[in-house]
Amino acid sequence: MARATSLLYLDGVSVSFDGFKALNELSLIIAPGEMRAIIGPNGAGKTTMMDVITGKTRPDTGEVFFNGAIDLTGEDEASIAELGIGRKFQKPTVFESHTVWDNLELALKAPRGPFSTLFHVIAQSEKKRIDHLLDLIRLGSKRHELAANLSHGQKQWLEIGMLLAQDPKLLLVDEPAAGMTDAETAETAELLKDIAKDHSVVVVEHDMVFVRSLDVKVTVLHEGSVLAEGSLDHVSADERVVEVYLGR
Amino acid sequence: MSFLKSLFLILGLIFGIFVSPAVAQSEPETLRPLINELAKGKYAETEQQIGALAATGDPAVAPALKALSEGDLFFRKSDGVVFIAEKQGNSYNLKDPLTLEAAGEAGRREVKKIKVNNKLRRVIRSALGSLTLMASDPNVRRLAAVAIFKAKDPEGIEALDVALAAEEDEGVRRVMEQARAAAVLNSDLDETQKLDAVATLSDMGNRDALSLLLSVRASSEGVVRSAASEAITKIEKSIATWDAAQNIWYGVSLGSVLLLAAIGLAITFGVMGVINMAHGEMVMIGAYTTFVVQDVIRTSMPGLFEYSLFIALPLAFLVAGLIGIAIERGVIRWLYGRPLETLLATWGISLILQQAVRSIFGPTNREVGNPDWMSGAFELGQMTITYNRMWIIVFALLVFAGLMLVLKKTPFGLYTRAVTQNRRMAASMGIRTPWIDALTFGLGSGIAGIAGVALSQIDNVSPNLGQGYIIDSFMVVVFGGVGNLWGTLVGAMTLGVVNKFLEPYAGAVLGKIFVLVFIILFIQKRPRGLFALKGRAVEA
Amino acid sequence: MMSSFLFRAMDAKAGIFLAILGAAIVLVPAGNLLVPETSPFHVPTYAVTLMGKYLTYALLALAVDLVWGYCGILSLGHAAFFALGGYAMGMYLMRQIGPRGVYGDPVLPDFMVFLNWEHLPWYWYGFDMFWFAALMVLLVPGALAFVFGWFAFRSRVTGVYLSIITQALTYALLLAFFRNDMGFGGNNGLTDFKDILGFDIQADTTRAGLFAASGIALVLCFLICRSITRSKLGKVLVAVRDAESRTRFLGYRVEHYKLFVWTLSAMMAGIAGALYVPQVGIINPGEFAPANSIEVVIWVAVGGRGTLVGAVLGAVLINFAKTWFTAALPDIWLFALGGLFVVVTLFLPKGIIGTLGSGWTALRQRKISARYEAGSDQPPSPAAHSPGAAANISPRAENTASSTSGAAKPQPAE
Repeated sequence: MARATSLLYLDGVSVSFDGFKALNELSLIIAPGEMRAIIGPNGAGKTTMMDVITGKTRPDTGEVFFNGAIDLTGEDEASIAELGIGRKFQKPTVFESHTVWDNLELALKAPRGPFSTLFHVIAQSEKKRIDHLLDLIRLGSKRHELAANLSHGQKQWLEIGMLLAQDPKLLLVDEPAAGMTDAETAETAELLKDIAKDHSVVVVEHDMVFVRSLDVKVTVLHEGSVLAEGSLDHVSADERVVEVYLGR
Repeated sequence: MSFLKSLFLILGLIFGIFVSPAVAQSEPETLRPLINELAKGKYAETEQQIGALAATGDPAVAPALKALSEGDLFFRKSDGVVFIAEKQGNSYNLKDPLTLEAAGEAGRREVKKIKVNNKLRRVIRSALGSLTLMASDPNVRRLAAVAIFKAKDPEGIEALDVALAAEEDEGVRRVMEQARAAAVLNSDLDETQKLDAVATLSDMGNRDALSLLLSVRASSEGVVRSAASEAITKIEKSIATWDAAQNIWYGVSLGSVLLLAAIGLAITFGVMGVINMAHGEMVMIGAYTTFVVQDVIRTSMPGLFEYSLFIALPLAFLVAGLIGIAIERGVIRWLYGRPLETLLATWGISLILQQAVRSIFGPTNREVGNPDWMSGAFELGQMTITYNRMWIIVFALLVFAGLMLVLKKTPFGLYTRAVTQNRRMAASMGIRTPWIDALTFGLGSGIAGIAGVALSQIDNVSPNLGQGYIIDSFMVVVFGGVGNLWGTLVGAMTLGVVNKFLEPYAGAVLGKIFVLVFIILFIQKRPRGLFALKGRAVEA
Repeated sequence: MMSSFLFRAMDAKAGIFLAILGAAIVLVPAGNLLVPETSPFHVPTYAVTLMGKYLTYALLALAVDLVWGYCGILSLGHAAFFALGGYAMGMYLMRQIGPRGVYGDPVLPDFMVFLNWEHLPWYWYGFDMFWFAALMVLLVPGALAFVFGWFAFRSRVTGVYLSIITQALTYALLLAFFRNDMGFGGNNGLTDFKDILGFDIQADTTRAGLFAASGIALVLCFLICRSITRSKLGKVLVAVRDAESRTRFLGYRVEHYKLFVWTLSAMMAGIAGALYVPQVGIINPGEFAPANSIEVVIWVAVGGRGTLVGAVLGAVLINFAKTWFTAALPDIWLFALGGLFVVVTLFLPKGIIGTLGSGWTALRQRKISARYEAGSDQPPSPAAHSPGAAANISPRAENTASSTSGAAKPQPAE
């Protein structure tokens, strides 16, 4: 697929830390509206890839384009977020001394400058949207609870809710099912599929059951580059993938 | 007249040279008549008599000649015997001019001063020069040559020539050659001689040579002048180099002080990540330990004073280390992972420690003495190196090396590194992490304590001693890169040298301000210091 | 928009606090000026000045709390902004002396005559006018904070690194102001003030006026701080404090937010310094001492960081204690202060107000959720919740005891 029609376009991206190549000539293309699962063993470069896309880490070489035309390597985290890329971290990070409601209000798409927030008065439409999100992430009854008091799974959901509140074009979701019960995992998969209907989503996950339940195209990363790509059945049939996962 | 005088002097000297080995150390009885002769006659005769005295070549006449030039030589009117006299009230204390023993008193009217004029003084000076130039003690010979160098007296040339022929000590010989060169340049000798002299001075290469050559350039012309100019440029260059070397030395010296102050912090802050604002107080406690040790030694066993620092070192390490462990167990361990709270709590501890020391020892500076081997200085080329600075540099490097060794080669060091890198893993491998924490903190504090022993030698020992170092220490550690002992070494030395190079242009205070501003800007550029750890470990 | 901004600042809790402060602003000067000296209700002038000084300290504490309690920036250099504001005011007061100085020079302050200076340095121009000096009280600390913050926050210097360089900043200024060539009176600083705005600075009425001015400044700054911390901006600040990089990934430009409160806070510290100087009658480089900055932090910590009332309360309480101790038991004061640092960080991490407040909030939380569960769907009122009171300080002192073998929990940072 050409760069112009892609939503996210990575080409030949390399990152090294003190000689250790975290990403090695990684190339990856996400189409608009696509949902993609990314799997790979520890140290395959999944988190570093997220860091590069969201501006936390600058690539040593390579191109990163969003929406076909916007070069992300020159932007910082805040402007990339404003461009419409939302990120959920591996370890759930919500604002623990804020209530669930405040967490969502902060994430809500609105002008981000200090002066606009200083004089901001919450509008009825915003309240409606937060209520809607609260229903979606099943935290309606916890709206005045401090985020610190939520369970692990609830925090994961709250973070996904914050991601949605940003109304991004592309969601990067890092291990959304980590530390969840089976029931929660299944619910999360449903939630993500819901979201994928009107957003592009990239999910990084270890849990194969979870990935299978998503039923989308899978990219296998290994030692910083793409090892295989295709349906889950296709990649799990790939000998190299089996070798990487099971050892030789 | 001048020619005659020179001739006489030369004769006298030659006589002296050939005879002196035989008559050197002649009995006072043979010299006394010669000295007593000084009482007779006018300036011209006195000049001859001086020559005769010089001709004996016996250093014993030097005090008499010296007294003569200073106007302290008198003769007794009644019998014409010559004494060195010192006025006391209305009378004079007499001393024998040869043995320098007291020889009674004399009234004001009983004695008369032997008069000298400037010309005679010069004669005496070169006579003394030649006398001492032949002395058996090389130090006396060297001083004599230096005296001639300062006087630039052309009449010393001959004496120097003779002395040079006999001189065997290389060092003294060089000084004599330099003195001769100075004298030659001041004489009316021919150009070749003077050119040689300029060359000698140019090799000498210090400030004295420079000022001499400057006056030569001003007063001479032709080849000598241009040779002098050349030599001046050369010397100026060499002096600039030496100045730079001296500055580097001062910088390294300051750097080693910073290193000493910061190295304990490099462990507690750098390795453990604990912000210990009471670190400076550990240094202060080390210094006060030294004071107490010296105090005990002074009152009970004064003979041990020279070794007081060696006794204080282990004690300071123990005292500061134990206080450190107590602080870690009592306060800091509750605050791991909350650096800002740690900072505040340890600041509180520093206030308590300061006030405690103030209550016990009083608010004023306490006197900590330097042992002999820590005082004095020596010259290296054109640099002056004081012993206390030198030993502190050596000591700082030893402490650094020792600490490196402990951290890299001992099991304790291994455990420390393990705990700081991955506490949970270390704990599950059976390392008692709480004890490693306490001991590591104790080690850092103990090192601050022994730094205090060293700093007590160059700084005022007062309750505020530590406060003066805390900001600098943090600057060093942050500049060098947290978690990296080599960074601390390089950081300390760099800041020390930069500071000393700024001082001549900006003054001490402004220099320090520049360094602070520089570091503030530097941290913006490299928030994790000079030798930052990179990679995923940092993000975790 | 503006009115809603200010309106947000007011509620019952703020009302009680402001009422107390307002009463003090009226009663203390009245007790000094109107009540006869024989009356037991008479407030002596020295007490008015002392309390005025406390109010300026409270304002300084408010400034520190705004950046530390709400935005997580531990400044160990706020004394620098305080002193700069003080120097700006001091320069105005020096120019007001005019020919009444010891040397009688109509323009040059005494110390300049003493140093054989011929002309007034250019940076002293304009300080004979009050409006100019007042402007500088705001602009000089503000500009310094802006430049410093612009560099520091853009390069993402955070946590203790930032604390240490703020300390280096005030230390550098301390050294600089000690120099005679700086033209600020060197070691001795600026003193021997005669009058302010034409009023004799020693007069009881002036003293009372300065007290009232300090109180009013405190009220205004309190209102500003409160409307900031209760706005969405305030929520963003707390978010930055708790999870800086998360905030960034939400699209907030963290450095702009930090720069905004940092500069504002420096200006407030400058105002505090400017009100402090005419009341104590002197400003010298000692005010820049790093120790002063750290002391302010402990006022805030004791009162309760992340609560504005706590900062004010802490400043007044500790300074009252200091006045009492240094008079009665001077040797004990540093022990007490040092002990306070340790005790507060170990046992009272939320401070007085924070500890009281969090108990109350927890109770309310429980009630609200109980009510929600019972089915009465109240419209959400986010403003009812004070984000600062429940600062991110879990009672870890107890935790750590049992889990020292486990990983030390990192401060919420990157």
